[in-house]
Amino acid sequence: MLRTIINLGLRLTLVCLVAAVALGFTYSLVEKRIDEQERKQREEAGQEVLSSIGAAPEEDPELLDSLQEEFPDLTGVFDGLDGTGNTVGYAFVVRSKGYNFITMAVGVDSGGAVTGIEVVTNEETPGLGSVVAEDPAFLEQFNGEGPEPVMLGVDVDAVSGATFTSKGIADGVNAALEIWEHIGKRRQVRDEG
Amino acid sequence: MRDRGKGAGRELTKGIVRTNPLLVLMVGLCSALAISTRVESCIFMGAAVIFVTVCSNVIISLIRGFIPDQIRIPIFIVVIASFVTIVDLTLKTQPAIYERLGVWIPLIVVNCLILARAEGFASGSGVYRSFMDGLGIGLGYTVVILIMSVFRELFGTGKIVLFNTTLIDLKVDAMPKILIMFPGAFITFALLLACLQWYQDRRKPKGKGAAGNE
Repeated sequence: MLRTIINLGLRLTLVCLVAAVALGFTYSLVEKRIDEQERKQREEAGQEVLSSIGAAPEEDPELLDSLQEEFPDLTGVFDGLDGTGNTVGYAFVVRSKGYNFITMAVGVDSGGAVTGIEVVTNEETPGLGSVVAEDPAFLEQFNGEGPEPVMLGVDVDAVSGATFTSKGIADGVNAALEIWEHIGKRRQVRDEG
Repeated sequence: MRDRGKGAGRELTKGIVRTNPLLVLMVGLCSALAISTRVESCIFMGAAVIFVTVCSNVIISLIRGFIPDQIRIPIFIVVIASFVTIVDLTLKTQPAIYERLGVWIPLIVVNCLILARAEGFASGSGVYRSFMDGLGIGLGYTVVILIMSVFRELFGTGKIVLFNTTLIDLKVDAMPKILIMFPGAFITFALLLACLQWYQDRRKPKGKGAAGNE
């Protein structure tokens, strides 16, 4: 009896080991390209959400580093630069929880108003939440909101049948607004000191 | 297994025709119904399924002597899941395709068509025949989703777009959009089954029932 169990366990372990090695090898082959693709997608999203105020996104890793401790869901920050190189807004790439995870870019101008939302990736239910997450009519409602947190049902209408996704998007926007406020406060402290 | 391995070509063709996974065995329907809205997605989905059926069939056939009966299902799943993950990782480098196939690639793991071939065929057959069987079943799946997607994309959207080139454009605005939505999947599949049934009935000699043992 014991020998059977050991025998079965060893065989299963061996199969799993071989599978794990094969997968690790595959991952090491494609890892770089996946990272690069994701970075490209983020950049495009940053561009998209800042385009309404005519700002060009520039990735700001330092700012990201300084914020990430407080906002772990933040995965990317772009400074929105105008023609003369002044920062006129930010684009934040944040991860939010809808029914599943939604990664989205939120553009915020210097007055704290949302300039655009672009969903980078979403794992929402295909055909239901996923449609809402990409629906321009829903997303455009957020434009111009802020810096006060957006209230679902008051400032913007949720989509019936996809409440979780709607809420996830609103949470993402509010997270971005909170980060924007945080940056402003920090700058104030620095200027005064 | 009744047929005694003479001509592994038969393992290949049977997957496409006689034991077509979708039309005859009726396994793996879930992904087929969901994915067949666009021809382009179907090409990639079909390729992914063929890769997984062939690889998992070959590996399982190779190690069939090593697999104890009691734990065969977990081992099958590990093998299948590994190949699916490989496909998943590879496709992730192509976000445009990956986004469209989305959750259906990881879900190949639980597609019963692949487990059914591992359990019902590869675990008891030679490597070469398992390879042919996997290829045949994969092709059978692909052919059917391609037929469905051509029908659904053409009549649901009015045109067929493949790799950013419009192949066919009916130039009609009001197409029945329902075809590319979920009910359309069932309607299309039912139509396909009906056509197949009609064809088979016609081929049968009159008066004789379904006793024919092809």
